[in-house]
Amino acid sequence: MRVRRTFSLGGFAAATALALSGCAPGTTTSGTTSVAVPSIDPASLAGQTLDYMYFTDGPDLQATKAIIADFEKKYSVKVNIEVVPYADHVTTLQTRIAGNNPPDVARVTALSPFDGELLDLAPYLGSGFADEFIKEARPGFVGANGEIFGVPSDLTMNGIFVNTDLFAKAGVTVPTADKPWTWDHMVKAAKEVQAKTGTQYAFAIDKSGHRLSTILAQNDTFMIQGDKVTLDVTAATAALQPFIDMTSVNISPKDLWLESGSRYAGANAVFLAQQTPVYMSGNWQVAQFTKNATFGWAAAPNPCLKTCGGFPGGKFMTAFAGSKVKPLAAIFIQFVNNAKNQEAFLAATNFLPTRKDLAKNGVNYPLRQADMDVFLAEVGRTNEGAYAGAYSPLFDASSQAFVKQIAQVISGNKQLSTAIQDLLTDLKGIAARG
Amino acid sequence: MTATQPISPRRTWSSISGKRVNVGALSRVVILIGLSLAVLTPLLWMILGAFKTQEELAQTPPTLLPRSWELGNFAEAFSSFDFPRALFNSVFVVIFATVLTLIVNSMAAYALAKYNFRGKNFLFIVTLATIMIPLQVILIPAYQVTAQLGLTNSLWGMIIPAAATPTGVFLLRQYMLTIPDELIEAARVDGAREFKIFLRIVLPLCKPALAVLAIFSVLWRWNDFLWPLVVSNRDTRTLPVALRQFASQEVVPFNLVLAISVFSIIPVIVCFLLFQRQIVIGVAATGIK
Amino acid sequence: MPYLFIFPNMLIFGLFTIYPAINGFNLSLYSSKNGRAFQWVGFRNFERIVTDNEFWQALGNTLIFVVGFVALSTVFSIIVAVLLESQRRGRSFFRAVFFVPVLLSPVVVGLLWHWMLQRQGGLLNEAIGTVGMSPVPWLAESGLAMVCVVAVGIWTHFGFYTMIVLAGLQSIDGNLYQAADLDGAGGWQKFYLVTLPLLTPTSLVVLILSTISGFQAFDFIYNFTGGGPVGGTTLMVQYIYEKAFGASPHYGLAAAGSVILFVIVLALTLVNWLIGRKNEMD
Repeated sequence: MRVRRTFSLGGFAAATALALSGCAPGTTTSGTTSVAVPSIDPASLAGQTLDYMYFTDGPDLQATKAIIADFEKKYSVKVNIEVVPYADHVTTLQTRIAGNNPPDVARVTALSPFDGELLDLAPYLGSGFADEFIKEARPGFVGANGEIFGVPSDLTMNGIFVNTDLFAKAGVTVPTADKPWTWDHMVKAAKEVQAKTGTQYAFAIDKSGHRLSTILAQNDTFMIQGDKVTLDVTAATAALQPFIDMTSVNISPKDLWLESGSRYAGANAVFLAQQTPVYMSGNWQVAQFTKNATFGWAAAPNPCLKTCGGFPGGKFMTAFAGSKVKPLAAIFIQFVNNAKNQEAFLAATNFLPTRKDLAKNGVNYPLRQADMDVFLAEVGRTNEGAYAGAYSPLFDASSQAFVKQIAQVISGNKQLSTAIQDLLTDLKGIAARG
Repeated sequence: MTATQPISPRRTWSSISGKRVNVGALSRVVILIGLSLAVLTPLLWMILGAFKTQEELAQTPPTLLPRSWELGNFAEAFSSFDFPRALFNSVFVVIFATVLTLIVNSMAAYALAKYNFRGKNFLFIVTLATIMIPLQVILIPAYQVTAQLGLTNSLWGMIIPAAATPTGVFLLRQYMLTIPDELIEAARVDGAREFKIFLRIVLPLCKPALAVLAIFSVLWRWNDFLWPLVVSNRDTRTLPVALRQFASQEVVPFNLVLAISVFSIIPVIVCFLLFQRQIVIGVAATGIK
Repeated sequence: MPYLFIFPNMLIFGLFTIYPAINGFNLSLYSSKNGRAFQWVGFRNFERIVTDNEFWQALGNTLIFVVGFVALSTVFSIIVAVLLESQRRGRSFFRAVFFVPVLLSPVVVGLLWHWMLQRQGGLLNEAIGTVGMSPVPWLAESGLAMVCVVAVGIWTHFGFYTMIVLAGLQSIDGNLYQAADLDGAGGWQKFYLVTLPLLTPTSLVVLILSTISGFQAFDFIYNFTGGGPVGGTTLMVQYIYEKAFGASPHYGLAAAGSVILFVIVLALTLVNWLIGRKNEMD
């Protein structure tokens, strides 16, 4: 048996006033749901069928199917899981909603694209249900009047992976989770390992506005907070300069930003091919590196500028107002996200907890516990504003604009400072359109 | 194939058989072989890649042959969904959609090619111009119509909406223009009914063009992705939809993508080789006027 | 009677293409973020779209791509067909090989060529690296990427077009060449004076088919260059698609883009049709 590790969310337990303003729920019953919960008679659900639209990241599918099997047995119901490709899940949902044919429940990356179509779970599960989840995630799923439009089903945290074989060969040490490195230190270490081991690149990062936002957060600036533009051009330019310098001499892969246009491109293949000692991505890579890497690797702390830590992300589970089995949909979401099932899901996927109890008591990961602990420590260190940025309804649009501007810089069309200035203009446009 | 030999300064030389071969013929063969390589190399590279591990694929310089032939890529790709079911759905959709396409397109093409009627040019131009409206643009309204007709969640939702292909109408019309009007007139004089003329005289003459449309319809429906994705449900999903579920958010295992691609092209290549003669004749026919 | 023949096709086409298209076009006068709730805005979507640099870039790219693809496809398929026509040995082998790319799904074509043409680790650059050349940024430089997109488009379709032209060639009366021989015409003159004029109707078919493929091109480009680098190969269809389903969806703008694309295509179709009719009369 492994010892249960714990981590603390105390570092940012003081709720971010900005993030929470405007979504204070009517009641603040702590912890367990109580008083106003209308009880749903399980017997009344028997025999019903529920459609669940899902996309998979790989190892999560089996875990999800096992949880569904338990649910079907417990309530004598049928759950049809429909797995759609990630890239098309929003298109598919939008189209089905427009045709009055949405699934009952869906796994999504954000709730905002489906505004006005989502089922408020509060009448079924009680307004206290939202309190089972970490406060920082609230802007992502709790409405202005305390409606619960879904729940965060897992948390991801951006962070650093290092090739420990290459670091050892070069005689460079990797910082431990309790003593993060600075950006300067990380860049220096990466370049040293590259020089001594002859890898093609020193540092790689996914082509993603979400990953770039990590670097901004480390210098304490954010594109947006809630629905307000908060980009500090000077701080953002300074934060991104080391990365841009590395791409300009192609010791950070330049082509990744140019060759795939508006599609997402991950640098995981570069890391897997041992062509870079340092890779900035996130904890979802842990499961696939465990499976595919043939060398020593580890998670390392995020580099620090003004602040430390990463940038959060994750998935939500939500139900649609057009569902014909609303109580069942609510009960299903509650079941899949109870402490026991979330822990089973996290263990299979190496994702991070969104439940307060699991976050407090820690999660037992069967694989790569040490690396997961690094990510858990990063959660504790992450800038408060990062959550208000990541869960903003404007985040996807901002993120896309960010990638476009950075691609302009990497292609040599623009100076970084000009691009960031232009990004500010883009963001203002996005915020104005709402 | 002609053996490649150093080019002689005299512009001609003897081939193995002793016949004189000129530079023109040689460069023609070189160009054709070069083109064949340009076509086949990427495909071979893809097939080899489908047997490699993700790590091996990411290597530079790449390995030519897989270090170990990973059949696991294929196994992994197919283990995650109900393969027989998806295959059945795909085959069902392909067959019925193709039959329906041939029927409605040939009838429409006949009207456009062999009758004069009010609005004919208008219909033809509308058909041609609408060809170029991509599905992505009309996805939502098209889905709404399909849903209102109760066709979603059944295989017919994938079969009927895509059946009236403008390209098919265009190809068949071009071909039917070559059928002499006298033939049809003669039959009319003999008192044959219009539909019988179409069925007994026109269609048999159009076999080559119908073969081409058939192969295109099979290709289109077999590879169709976006429309089946939104219209199908868990039980009616076709192979391309089922296979694409690996493409997850951040981690797309390229070895699996290649394995899937290789798998998906095998049936069409087999079909092509089987019907090659008919297709060649048919395609040839669309160009003659 | 003709109406009866055309009815089933027009019914399906009308229901699932024309009606949705009209419906879609109607949206260009509304503002909607999600395709469900709409607000009348008149021509504001059009005003907005014409001030969007990315729109003009996409429109320009589309014209460059379509003109390049159509012209080169036609010329290239005529050249290959002429070569094939005079090649007796192995002709059916070559013909079969050239047809194989036609069979591939556009998604596979895009993924495959993206992988082949990567600057780092792409097969083509590895190959030219072995003869000492430095890697070429095929997909990382705008102009070059557009050339690659056109080339891959031709790679996919030329087998089909070549077969059409080949049949056209084979239907040319051999006596005409003999007559030209008697007049003392050289090979090039024969091609220019006999082959080309008689190939005009066939070329027109290739022209129309390739124009259709050119305007419809989306899947293969999306998976190939993703419309990059920095928008350099983003065509109208992708622009419209991303406006409708991208990170900041705006159906009204997408619909306005569709209307503009449709008008352009309609105009071209009319021109095409008029040329075709003139030809038929001749």
